Amino acid sequence: MTLGNQKKIERVFFQNLVIRQIRQDYLENLTGFAWLILQPLIFLAVYAFVFSTIFKARMPQDVDIGFVPYLAIAFWPWTAFSEAVLRASNSITSSGSLIGKIAFAAEQIPLATVTATFIMHMIGYLTVLIVLQLMGTSIHWFHLSLVVPLMLLMWLFACGIALFTSATQVFVRDLAQIMPPLMTLWFFTTPILYAASYLPESVQAIARWNPMAWFIARLRELLLFGEINFGGIALAMALIIVVFAWLSLRFFRRFSGHFEDFL
Amino acid sequence: MDSLVRMEGVSKIYPRVHKPRERLQAFGSLLLGRKPAHGAKVLSDIHLDVVRGQSLGIIGENGAGKSTLLKVLTGVIQPTHGRVMVHANIAAMLELGAGFQPDFSGMENVRMKASLMGLSNKELDARLDEILDFADIGEYIHEPVKHYSSGMVVRLGFAVITACRPDLLITDEVLAVGDESFQKKCIRWIEQFLKNGGTLLLVSHSMYVVQKLCQKALWIHDGKVAEFGDVFPVTQAYLAWHEKRQAKEKEQRVRATGEGSYYRIEQFQLLEQQGDETPSFAMGDSLDIELQIYSPDDRPPVGVVGIVRADGTPVYGVVSDNENIQPVKLADNQYRFRLRFTDIRLLPGSYNLSGHSMDPEGVRVFDMQQIAFTITGSTQEVGFIKLPHQWLD
Repeated sequence: MTLGNQKKIERVFFQNLVIRQIRQDYLENLTGFAWLILQPLIFLAVYAFVFSTIFKARMPQDVDIGFVPYLAIAFWPWTAFSEAVLRASNSITSSGSLIGKIAFAAEQIPLATVTATFIMHMIGYLTVLIVLQLMGTSIHWFHLSLVVPLMLLMWLFACGIALFTSATQVFVRDLAQIMPPLMTLWFFTTPILYAASYLPESVQAIARWNPMAWFIARLRELLLFGEINFGGIALAMALIIVVFAWLSLRFFRRFSGHFEDFL
Repeated sequence: MDSLVRMEGVSKIYPRVHKPRERLQAFGSLLLGRKPAHGAKVLSDIHLDVVRGQSLGIIGENGAGKSTLLKVLTGVIQPTHGRVMVHANIAAMLELGAGFQPDFSGMENVRMKASLMGLSNKELDARLDEILDFADIGEYIHEPVKHYSSGMVVRLGFAVITACRPDLLITDEVLAVGDESFQKKCIRWIEQFLKNGGTLLLVSHSMYVVQKLCQKALWIHDGKVAEFGDVFPVTQAYLAWHEKRQAKEKEQRVRATGEGSYYRIEQFQLLEQQGDETPSFAMGDSLDIELQIYSPDDRPPVGVVGIVRADGTPVYGVVSDNENIQPVKLADNQYRFRLRFTDIRLLPGSYNLSGHSMDPEGVRVFDMQQIAFTITGSTQEVGFIKLPHQWLD
């Protein structure tokens, strides 16, 4: 069997895994595809009501944009990221019916889970952007070409974390309980519901190292403010994430041959 | 020789992982690149070569490590020590519907499985009719697999394999699940596959299937290779070992009652026997047997000589009294019978010669002794003995 053939097998198998994941997680109910559009809109309505009407969230003085679009632009990418990481962390432990029965590269499971989650949420994101535009927020559509590589980098970041946590969870089952609160903590420490400038100076210095804060700041600039703000930091961030994902893959592969013994 | 799969010094240790602490320790040692040291050793130091076009049967009792061997071989699990080298497009059928997702329909599972075995979606579409035809489960193909009977799962699993045209087919005991006609269909398919140069690795407890489909056999015992070679000697040795183990208890019980008996057996032997090994004969040889009996009152005793299968099933027996045979008197209280079985027509396998001593009236058995022997040869006849026969027009 040639190496090329092997590559082809893995590609087709991966595609099928992603499709299966999407069907299982998102299309397994009666209304099917309609929920894909409805769900994000309902979420948006709930958040808009809670934060702008009840909490009366304020915007920074110099920002001339409503709270709802400001939140929406950041909230969907975060949901995609957080859901992808949480689902993928459990993906190996819940794949007993594949691992130990058929031979394949186990990293495909968490990667397929992350990919499927991202694909579905990006469809939702697009829906939200269109709705925002229709409701009068001007979206800088031309910058989508820069949003795509940004999202790919975020996907890679999620893959890196997922490889790390899914392999670890096979051995440390408690991770299933630890991960959700950790992700919630991450959510509130990332400027999603608020602007980064609201953070105390000392905290801002630390928050700068949070890749998610960086992603979200860039997304807001690109889509809402129409600013392009990529420099050396973007390059460094890309490099760090690529190295991190590669190390995670190495970490994962160190254990993947032994998963069957522990499932 | 074109080796498809080679195993070198393969061992597999299942680490102990019940307690969270043990998991954590295993996690740490794997992280540092160490092998788990403690645990159940399922395979030890296996060397194996599977050559293109060969068909190999793997036999052994339950828990001997056969399934683990196949899993290591197919790359589903990693060996703890040793190397496995694969140069083939393997199709493995190790468990009922391995890799089938119970919530998905048969059709979706076929797609998944086919993609794993290297079929692109286009190739699969072209062969879909062939698969459905072979599986022959009708409209059930659109139902979730969890509603299938175990037989249907096997049908579907096997059908996918037939469409993938692998170099090497590996199958566990799964074929035993299908009904009679499907089993025959599978065996026909495997025979055709072998004829076209395919390579087969088969685990089975049915020596009939192994002898029918395989040229070579590998007997695994306690995770080690007990014997490897041509299918007939290995399967016979395995059967003999099995029969002997079953008969051991029984023999011990008989022996216990023989102690201190009145007319006791002084000697029971095969006349040409040399050395301590189990004597073996070919079909058609003759057996010369000597039975010496001690007679406490110096009256000539009655002797019985018989043949039983190693599991204790009687095959044939003859009593001296009934044929008006008197023993030769060797000395005071010592009598001797000699008997020859000419042209022994037993089928290959493991047997015991059984000698018994009786009182002169031939009423009560006092003592018994057994000698194990094997009949060698290769034949696909079944049963214990060869009956003279001829096929008529």
